[in-house]
Amino acid sequence: MATRLPGTDVVVVGLGAAGGVAVLPLVDAGIEVIGLEAGTWLTRRDFAPDEIRNNVRDWPMAVQKANLEVPTTRATPDSPSFRGSSHPMMNAVGGTTLHYWAQAWRLNPWDFKVVSETTRRYGSSRLPAGTTVEDWPFDYDELEPYYDRIEYEIGVSGQAGNVAGNVDERGNRFEGLRAREYPMPPLRWTGFHERMADAARDLGWHPFPGPALINSQAYGDRAGCVYHGFCNSGGCHVDAKAGPHTTTIPRALETGRLTVITRAHVIGIDADRSGRATGVRYVVGSEEFIQPAQVVLLASYTYENVRLLRLASSHVYPNGFANNGGQVGRHYFSHHQGAPVSALFPFDISAWYGLPAQGVAVDDFADDNFDHSSLDFIGGGNLWAMSDRRPISAANGSTFGRAPSWGSEWKRYIHENADRSHGSYIQKTTLPYETNYLDLDPVERDPLGFPVLRVTAQYKQNELAIADFMQDRMEEWYRATGATEVSRGGLGNAMGLSTHAFGGTRMGDDPSANVVDRWGFAHEAPNLGILGASVMGTSGAHNPTLTVQALTWRTAEHLVKNWSSIAGG
Amino acid sequence: MKSRSVPILVAAMLVGANIVHAQEYHPIIVESPGMQTGQTMPRDYTPDGRNISPPLEWRNLPEDTRQIAVVCEDHGAGNPPPWVHWVVYNIPGTATGLPENLPIYANAPMPAEIAGAVQGENGWGRSIYRGPAPPLGQLHNYNFFVYALDAELDLPPGLTQQELMERIEGHVIGRGAIVPFYRRGPMDTASAP
Amino acid sequence: MAEDQRRTISRRDLLKGVGAAGAAAILPGKVDEGSAQPASPGAGTDPGRARSFAEVPRPRRLENLTADEADTLEAIMARLIPADDLGPGAVEAGALNYLDRALGGFLAGEREEYGLNLAALDRYCLSSRGAPFVELSTTDQDSVLIDLEGGSATGSGAGFTGSSASFFAMVKGHTWQGMFGDPYYGGNAGFIGWDLLRYPGVRLGVSAADQQRLEAGELLPERRSAYDSEMFEKATAMQRAQGGVEHGD
Repeated sequence: MATRLPGTDVVVVGLGAAGGVAVLPLVDAGIEVIGLEAGTWLTRRDFAPDEIRNNVRDWPMAVQKANLEVPTTRATPDSPSFRGSSHPMMNAVGGTTLHYWAQAWRLNPWDFKVVSETTRRYGSSRLPAGTTVEDWPFDYDELEPYYDRIEYEIGVSGQAGNVAGNVDERGNRFEGLRAREYPMPPLRWTGFHERMADAARDLGWHPFPGPALINSQAYGDRAGCVYHGFCNSGGCHVDAKAGPHTTTIPRALETGRLTVITRAHVIGIDADRSGRATGVRYVVGSEEFIQPAQVVLLASYTYENVRLLRLASSHVYPNGFANNGGQVGRHYFSHHQGAPVSALFPFDISAWYGLPAQGVAVDDFADDNFDHSSLDFIGGGNLWAMSDRRPISAANGSTFGRAPSWGSEWKRYIHENADRSHGSYIQKTTLPYETNYLDLDPVERDPLGFPVLRVTAQYKQNELAIADFMQDRMEEWYRATGATEVSRGGLGNAMGLSTHAFGGTRMGDDPSANVVDRWGFAHEAPNLGILGASVMGTSGAHNPTLTVQALTWRTAEHLVKNWSSIAGG
Repeated sequence: MKSRSVPILVAAMLVGANIVHAQEYHPIIVESPGMQTGQTMPRDYTPDGRNISPPLEWRNLPEDTRQIAVVCEDHGAGNPPPWVHWVVYNIPGTATGLPENLPIYANAPMPAEIAGAVQGENGWGRSIYRGPAPPLGQLHNYNFFVYALDAELDLPPGLTQQELMERIEGHVIGRGAIVPFYRRGPMDTASAP
Repeated sequence: MAEDQRRTISRRDLLKGVGAAGAAAILPGKVDEGSAQPASPGAGTDPGRARSFAEVPRPRRLENLTADEADTLEAIMARLIPADDLGPGAVEAGALNYLDRALGGFLAGEREEYGLNLAALDRYCLSSRGAPFVELSTTDQDSVLIDLEGGSATGSGAGFTGSSASFFAMVKGHTWQGMFGDPYYGGNAGFIGWDLLRYPGVRLGVSAADQQRLEAGELLPERRSAYDSEMFEKATAMQRAQGGVEHGD
């Protein structure tokens, strides 16, 4: 029997990158907030520089609620679906920001206006067949103040490239106008980064250090990065890596208006007869609770946002909460990060100590920063050369055909070359398509008996053409830096599960094509706000976290300013 | 990057194998102690035995043979076929065959009578001989091709069969083959005749 | 119950995770002093000049494997990363010890798979090469491992639980973990694995000056486990749930 708890102003489902940020502007405005988090608190003591635990065994992602609900995946409705054993995201106060790479990119202005800008520059025929992409309901300038707010509130390191129209060649000359500099200088470069940057300049490109949600120096009460090399899938033992668990949530707790409930697995969203949300149901262990609230903010990552909505069917929402328009689960896509390029250099590159957010970026081939007139795709990719190496992964690296993968010959090879390989990271524009979507799996269930999500998604011709083009650019860059071997992976097919999963509850003015309005509240349920990349309609060529957080702050601020109309007095 | 393209001429030759174009070449007679065309291979040349390379002998080379190359292919496997089991080249034109059990280590010397010969990359990505491992119960044929070349090509080690075919194109003046088969059975009855 | 769950954690409690001394020790300014010195005698020696194997502990107190299984696995590991003129290998690093412990802990689910496939391996070796794996010449052992790796042993009828390539990949993966992982888990004895890779070691912080020394080839390797620092919780979440830890597994 479920225990009905006293009501609250706002209940936030999930205290990760999005929900963990939303709580602060709400409590600062005097609103009472209950935050439900499926994971627990973790601290610096949990973040040992231990490759076996963090990387090989995927801790702290193991033993998490998400791992019990791993979605199934398939490329097309005709292909068989598969269910992997682990979920790419983790549950904890702070969510996946505990161990993410912490790259802190803004989207490019083009990403907000893909349809109109493509049509204006190249003609509407250049929009790929079958895509459901739309312009965002607002432009980059609308979001700029919120990007700025997050960069200063949480702390971002970086080199500005365009402050109010003044281009600075040390930064990203292609970025949208920003009001001011980053609050901290960029993370430092190594000698190899300098070498890559020199080679990029020789090619006529514009290299710059990427932005990071990691302190390059002490910021507020948190220390600067100590570059120890275990950032990838590891938490930060000095709290230099920014996440809500070290920034917005502790600040919100100090007001006394935020209550954090850990190990809370949300299982349902309740609606009244008019379709308004009345609260959520959750379980802790074997006990079930009902948490009434005037406003519900759903912030449980793209996959779980969509699943919780689709599971919450009722008389008023027979096909899932806020899904009478049939849009929940549509316009899904995830960043194309595959089609890798790796290289072997004839010198040590000293990458043992560093982090994935530290490196050289090239945006000359991202978004619409280059002329696509004679190309067969729109969009592009961000080239990213970072530092990231640990012993086991180094020993498992490719031998580029120069040695077998074990035995004495391998031993000689790896002794010389363990620190001489480099793998690129190339994020590429990915568009939504009619045939890519999320729904409930008809067979697979979680331990509570609820269906898991099913991902049906495949990269289409536009994504594959970008991947091929970007591999050529990356190979050029590696060769120019002196690589003796370069190898390229396949261009990709099924999307699989991703840490950069977008759409499913897209934001837009047209209720027949979108789940939430321009402020992030459901067209069909005005007191249900949805936070996270599930509201984003385009991916750009850059990591989504900062955009997610800027959108979150904007949604929370809108709620504060319009409390009585949204909360229903 | 390894080249992905095969010249059309060579591709046609491979598909046609020894049926369509065999008459274009001077026929080399290929034999082996223990292996015969249309007969099962001894276990020791398969992973059901020691998986050592079989001995080959050849006769009736064209007069101006300068160098020899050997490839073992299964046209009933691979995606696309053939699956390549063995690639040997830079074999001196004076050689009359390959001894049994060529080395499986890159730094091990070749037997004196074929000094200078090197092995190329097989379908498993290793520059050694690996014998037949067809799915249980299936009979596959294994084409041991011997090519006579009219030039001393100093080819680098580790070439794949495709790369070798590209490099020797225009130099092939003779060819012959021996085509034994192999079928795996239950373990205790898999022994050779 | 609900009330307990709703107890919140203050920022002060959060920061108690590390004491003042611990925090000071990891500030970049302090890192230079510590990392300029080798952590222990013998650290920083050129791995090309191998330490005497006798100096390297070779624990053989089995917790999970049988003696026969351990012998076969050690023979495999000796071929995967052999001791040779470049220095000691996986056996000397105690990769077997890592695996044996893990099979009673994190890898317990793979214990049965090991037993079945090691038995299949010996059947395969007997049938194809006339002797169990440990009795074959090193050349025949390598030939067998190549057949396992390529999947050629799968159809031999020896009874591998799946593709012989999967079994090979599993053994190789665990050998690499035992060779190159943190010694806390029982492998990488004497930091043999890290010496082979020329890995400069686990540090809690690396200053710009350290990085420059590394690039100049002047940074002496640090040779210690992550858990030599008291600031880190040794138990994993799972071990914590099961109650206590004896050692890393």
